[in-house]
Amino acid sequence: MNKTGIFYSFNSKKTAKAAEKIIEEFGADFKIVPVNAEELTEELFLSFTNLILGVPTWFDGELPNYWDEFVPALEDLDLKGKTIAIYGLGNQVEYPENFGDAVGTMVNLVKQRGAKVIGSTTIEGYTYESSKAELDGKFVGLLLDQETQPRLSKERIANWVADLKTQFK
Amino acid sequence: MDTVPIVFSIKTTPKETLEKWFRLMTLGRAIDEKAPNYLKQAIGWSYHAPYAGHDGIQLAIGQIFEKEVDHIFLYYRDLLTAMSCGLTAEEIILNGISKATDLSSGGRHMSNHFAKIPWNIHNVSSLTGNHTLHAVGVARAIKYYGQKAVAISVQGESSLSEGFVYEAINGASKEKLPVIFAIQDNGYGISVPKKDQTANRKVANNFTGFKNLRIIHCNGKDVFESMNAMHEAKKHALETGMPVMVQANCIRMHSHSNSDRHELYRSEEERNYAQEYDPLAKYKRMLVRYNRFTNEEIIAIENESKIELKEAHKKALKAPDPDPNTYLDFVLPEPHKPLKYVDGTHHEEGEKKKLITALNETLKAEFRNNPDTFMWGQDMANKDKGGIFNVSKGLQQEFGPKRVFNAPIAEDFIVGTANGMSRYDEKIRIVIEGAEFADYFWPAMEQYVDSSHDFWRSNGQFTPNVTIRLASGGYIGGGIYHSQNIEGALTSIPGVRIVYPSFADDAAGLLRTAIRSRGMTMFMEPKALYNDPKAATVIPDDFEVPFGKARIRRNGEDLVMITYGNTTHMCLEAAEKLSKEGSSVEVIDLRSLVPLDKETILNSIKRIGKVMVVHEDKVHSGFGAEITSVIMEEAFEYLDCPVKRVGSSFTPVGFHRSFERMILPNTEKIYIAAKEVLAY
Repeated sequence: MNKTGIFYSFNSKKTAKAAEKIIEEFGADFKIVPVNAEELTEELFLSFTNLILGVPTWFDGELPNYWDEFVPALEDLDLKGKTIAIYGLGNQVEYPENFGDAVGTMVNLVKQRGAKVIGSTTIEGYTYESSKAELDGKFVGLLLDQETQPRLSKERIANWVADLKTQFK
Repeated sequence: MDTVPIVFSIKTTPKETLEKWFRLMTLGRAIDEKAPNYLKQAIGWSYHAPYAGHDGIQLAIGQIFEKEVDHIFLYYRDLLTAMSCGLTAEEIILNGISKATDLSSGGRHMSNHFAKIPWNIHNVSSLTGNHTLHAVGVARAIKYYGQKAVAISVQGESSLSEGFVYEAINGASKEKLPVIFAIQDNGYGISVPKKDQTANRKVANNFTGFKNLRIIHCNGKDVFESMNAMHEAKKHALETGMPVMVQANCIRMHSHSNSDRHELYRSEEERNYAQEYDPLAKYKRMLVRYNRFTNEEIIAIENESKIELKEAHKKALKAPDPDPNTYLDFVLPEPHKPLKYVDGTHHEEGEKKKLITALNETLKAEFRNNPDTFMWGQDMANKDKGGIFNVSKGLQQEFGPKRVFNAPIAEDFIVGTANGMSRYDEKIRIVIEGAEFADYFWPAMEQYVDSSHDFWRSNGQFTPNVTIRLASGGYIGGGIYHSQNIEGALTSIPGVRIVYPSFADDAAGLLRTAIRSRGMTMFMEPKALYNDPKAATVIPDDFEVPFGKARIRRNGEDLVMITYGNTTHMCLEAAEKLSKEGSSVEVIDLRSLVPLDKETILNSIKRIGKVMVVHEDKVHSGFGAEITSVIMEEAFEYLDCPVKRVGSSFTPVGFHRSFERMILPNTEKIYIAAKEVLAY
């Protein structure tokens, strides 16, 4: 098995909690290395083959500072051969115009650098107006809404991880 | 979503540019953080709206501004924008602590309202977003004179809830004007969250239906995204001449101002989140992370900024305070002074002309005399129609649609863009029909009031050179909104001349003086007299009437009637009737209400002793109340009886003719009142 890492801010609360759930869902047999996205370097990022990125949407559809500050570095990386799955927290009620936009933004960035993006999910069960994370009737990653649909997160994570397990090599 | 080309990035932007930005941001933030201390030490800066969290977009707005070419209107949170436009730390502090040498207003206007008028950084009021109309107005001049420049209106997102902002954007869209609306969205209007302002979180998208308007969204907390957005906005406005709106998402790291406490309505989590978002900290991290600056270089710049601030602080503290004895300066600029018709009278003989003809011919003459004259209003120019009463008939045909044109049905827009356009050049003179009828003028009151204190507020640096024409008064069976007077309310506001002629020659002479003068003049036209033969007079071609000079229309010994507008003629008729009964009545036509010719009034009272004040507006708090008070204070000992006032009742003006007869003054009511006074 190639090296798999999950990248999220260790200072975050909900995104970190979701990371813990994802790791738990993968189970002990599937080793996943937690990486603090706030201390990310290009070398660290490239040292993994399978990457799970925790990218919450801030404010009106923005990347969090720690990801945004990594973007100029990311733009110079060759991500061919990398398999990346992205999850992110959003609020579909208070921010319906840009629900989970940061997930879509990050997917586009890594795709442009040659990464294979996996882990698309259904848009059913969500109510929002627009989202950069939506492509061809599906979300390009896992969107979690801990503000308005916290009870659905467990099942959504379980389904998503089951899908990732089949695709990570 | 509109995307913009990436011109600026952390990796490619030259180091000296990155350094310039960092110095501005560091010094700006240091001042922003120091400002509350001035209040704590009772030095000043009692109004301070911290900008922290808006750093990226404020830097970018200032960086694309070209001084003395572009025009910019800042709002009260634009400290860094002002510095990025070129204001020094000392100049910022001079404004903050309201010194006499404050560039914006010399301490007359609220702190944190930055301006540098010679550079086209305009002085704006505190009414959120009302300078949007001024930006559109000045952009109209930029377009007319063919200059390669833009007007920039900077404001918070809550200002988009204001109706006049809609009017401004609609106008820029319709007229295809090079305006950049830079919207700094921090999610709050003081304590009011955006969801209580509008249904659309992306407030700029409320305007997606406007033609010719490009909308760009950016992260206003990020220097590079903000720079790219503003760079593209200016490029687009210059290349196409079309308006652009940039919505920059910001975060308010502190309370709205020093009179607000955001902990009352923002959770601790949200406030922490706002601090984490700090754009300056992010920019600093980027400079180091991408090896553009070392930590040592950063610290050195920060230390230099501290020294610069300390020196600016010392210099600003030594600056003189304003002299309060200058409070009467700059209420109004000196008007044009007629040299030939010094007292505004003449002895010309010949053919009489109607009042409407007088106005029309004077407008044409002045437009021929000065190529930098413009006129707009509702119903102003459509083929053979020229104004609701045809006062401006033929002007568009002669002077073209770029100088004489229709305005939307938006009174505030009409006045506000006049104010804005006159900022472009001192030589410009604007005439507007403020509304179809005088009492439709109320929607324009915010711009009227704002314009009234421009000259005072800017310490004499700017005055709108605008003549507002209003068809006023009743006797046409128009009722509410068509037959009322509003001058009683307007005369309480300093900073505008108000004239109200009764005869054709005075109308021509006052209009010419108004157009030739600096400053704002409210020109009230008694519309019932437009075509009335009794208002027709002989008019010298070059006739001028000075402001503040009344005209005695009939001499008398027993009673003096002080009046203006429609009631001048009624007073003259009553005087004529009384003369046949053996009473000699003098009639003073004030012509100007502001300034008021107290000398003529008092001289007549001293000679005659009995006085009536007559006008069409309401007796209750009408302008007659002011005249009467002046008489009581300055001529009481010359009075033989109480001052008698005649005017309309304290009611609206009714539509049916019988209501009008009951409510408005007329010759018979004046005659009866005069009999009482004469018999006292």
